[in-house]
Amino acid sequence: MGTVEAAVRPAFRRSLFARQSAVRMAEILLGGLLFLVLLQVILGFSLLDPDLWRVYSRSFWNGILRTLGYIALILPVSVAVGFCLGWARVSRYRAITWPVSVYIEFFRGVPPLFVLIFASILGPTLLPERFQSVELGLTLGALTIAFHSAAFQAEIFRAGFQSVSRGQVEAAQAIGMRGLQSMRHVILPQALRLSLPPLANEFAVVIKDTSLLAAIAAGELFHLSQRIQDTIIRGGGSLDWLFAIWTAVAVVYFVMTFLVTRAMLLLERKVHARGLEALAL
Amino acid sequence: MIRVEGIHKHFGALHVLRGINLEVSKGEVLVIIGPSGSGKSTLLRCINLLVEPDQGRVFIDGVHVNHPDIRPEWVRQQVGMVFQSFNLFTHLTSLENVMLGPVRVKGVSREATEERAKDLLARVGLSAKAGAYPAELSGGQQQRVAIARALAMDPKAILFDEPTSALDPEYIREVLDVMTALAREGMTMIVVTHEMGFASSVASRIVFLDAGTIIEEGRPEEVFETPKHERTRVFVSKILR
Amino acid sequence: MVPPLAEERRRRTRALDTLAAIVLTLGAIAFIANLFVGRTGFDFAYMQEKYPIFLEATKLTLYATTLSFVIGMAIGFFVGWARTARIVPLRKTLHDHARFRAADTPRWKSRLGAVPLILSSTGKYYLRRVADAYVEIIRGTPLFVQIVFAWSVLLVNYPRLDDLGLIAGIAALTANTGGYQSEIFRAGLQTVHAGQAEAARAVGMSRLRAMRYVVLPQALRLIIPPLTNEYIGLLKASSFLFVIGVQELTTVGKSEAFREFKVFEVFALVTGIYFLMTVPLSKAIAYVERRYRIPGLGMQQARTARV
Repeated sequence: MGTVEAAVRPAFRRSLFARQSAVRMAEILLGGLLFLVLLQVILGFSLLDPDLWRVYSRSFWNGILRTLGYIALILPVSVAVGFCLGWARVSRYRAITWPVSVYIEFFRGVPPLFVLIFASILGPTLLPERFQSVELGLTLGALTIAFHSAAFQAEIFRAGFQSVSRGQVEAAQAIGMRGLQSMRHVILPQALRLSLPPLANEFAVVIKDTSLLAAIAAGELFHLSQRIQDTIIRGGGSLDWLFAIWTAVAVVYFVMTFLVTRAMLLLERKVHARGLEALAL
Repeated sequence: MIRVEGIHKHFGALHVLRGINLEVSKGEVLVIIGPSGSGKSTLLRCINLLVEPDQGRVFIDGVHVNHPDIRPEWVRQQVGMVFQSFNLFTHLTSLENVMLGPVRVKGVSREATEERAKDLLARVGLSAKAGAYPAELSGGQQQRVAIARALAMDPKAILFDEPTSALDPEYIREVLDVMTALAREGMTMIVVTHEMGFASSVASRIVFLDAGTIIEEGRPEEVFETPKHERTRVFVSKILR
Repeated sequence: MVPPLAEERRRRTRALDTLAAIVLTLGAIAFIANLFVGRTGFDFAYMQEKYPIFLEATKLTLYATTLSFVIGMAIGFFVGWARTARIVPLRKTLHDHARFRAADTPRWKSRLGAVPLILSSTGKYYLRRVADAYVEIIRGTPLFVQIVFAWSVLLVNYPRLDDLGLIAGIAALTANTGGYQSEIFRAGLQTVHAGQAEAARAVGMSRLRAMRYVVLPQALRLIIPPLTNEYIGLLKASSFLFVIGVQELTTVGKSEAFREFKVFEVFALVTGIYFLMTVPLSKAIAYVERRYRIPGLGMQQARTARV
């Protein structure tokens, strides 16, 4: 097998790979479609019911938009904070690492939902009356998700930093680089590349975490879908519609996480320095 | 040109270097031999200040360099280093590896550096691999790029820390050839190695280090064939088989 | 002259550093606490009075978590195992089968023998695909959605069920943890499997013996830390049962906090309870990991994406 691969010209190998992944994509799409059809058959053909969509579509699309908005806020904040914390964690000064460790242990020890709820309640109380508003509570809730994810991202970045072998740092020093320079030109490029795969995973988690905001009535997809669900139940509408709603919601989240992980995969491929994984974790 | 006086270094309870005095003149090739754990690598790293000596002074061209007022980065620009595990920057190509120092540390322009870097790679015989990443190179090739990288900084001297110890046997020759050529061109070199063939033919002086002290020093013929101390004799006989 | 004082200086910096660390950490916590209850003071009496309610809720949380975890382990093991199956293209299987037909076996017999081969091969293929789909769905959708989905399924089919919420919640948690645990089992089996099973067979062991004496002992040691992590994650995930009104810790926390507005007290209490449940376990894993480490054998652990 090895010799065959060596004999195959690189260009051909690339197109082979592209063909395989295209086949894979087709498989996934087909499988997904099949699954949905199956689900609907089992649970009662309701996904395409026009009556349902008359009631639900506004909430559905607004919910998606709101969710995207929250994601746009949470992801960058979490990366920025997580990166700084991860960097702080590899500092030699305990005065820096201890508080950071406490922060990380805190967010790793309690459920995000719990912190979210209480942050949105407690947070506004810190500010003078005139700033307190529902909006503020929601924003604080979203920020809590960001800080929660940051704790995990800090660990990812820390692992990335520590995976860059000591020899690299020595070599950078040996050609006369100062600490910050070696960080910028040698350590960071490698650490960031190494962090990409687990980071992709974490991003998928953040996307799903936005559903938690429903607990504080944030008007994102999950929350609005819940409201419709309540309306249907109370109004005695067809309970099959419930399956349809949640299937639709599940599909939306699935597509979002799928797109994000694909995008990260493309990014990984683009910045891939051949042989970098040889040093990996 | 490089002088160390009374160097002591402790790692915790371990007294690794016990009062080292050494002098290397310009153009000299000094080879340090000794059993593992004798402190050879540590001594080398004390010279370019990757390790800070607990006691003693290091002089480069008469300047006392392990002084709080001197920036270590400046010292490392004067004295380059080649590592046992090559330590090429894995995310950069060979050419970029060689260029990084001059461009980012010395501030030379990219075009000028690129020209020079290509010359250096040619000098070590790797022009064809300028665009290759370290993972695509053999050990011997990586080490030669590492030498080019050290040369790019125009150092006054280069320190070699067991440059061929991590290489497969078929690649040792090519690296030693580059080092020999360098010596012939008059580069001041301090080499820690087990390659006795290289030491005999290229070194101007051999130093035998054991358990943190210099046991013996002298010309290759003297140390290898007529050692003055028993420990030297024992060690040399083990190495020369 | 670099003096031996360098050592002294380093020690002093260290001490200062440690002092600053303690001050900063405790100070930050004290500062935050003060922000919230500075004026009214911490109401300890309230906590003493109310804690039985929280105890009940904690018990429910632990019960739901543990039950889901155990059942999920069974699911996880089989799904994980299924996912280690390699898919050989049907064409190759048949090709090999035809090529290695003994010279005296008539062709029709060989073709007949191919039928069970086709069945098992396609069977394995679809089993693997179903397992893959299961895990992808669990990982691709929020736990919230999974819980509510399970709940609505039960609501439609068994509307008058007692403890509907709890059952639905446990079902959802089980399915969820099963999916994540399958990844752990798969990684564990694969890390050990390569070469080891082969070596065991070469020594003369049957496939079952190889599994029992070679693969499993190593795999077990590998998977215990991530499994414990998963348990902790599940514990935190149990808070999601909030969304269907199950009276677990977070739900109770929220309702109590609103009842008398002792928000920070409740927050501190519930945080404390969650810490008590998760932190000792984390430390225990770290300890066990270090002690029973097999040098050279290890698994990469990403955050078991919990949501």
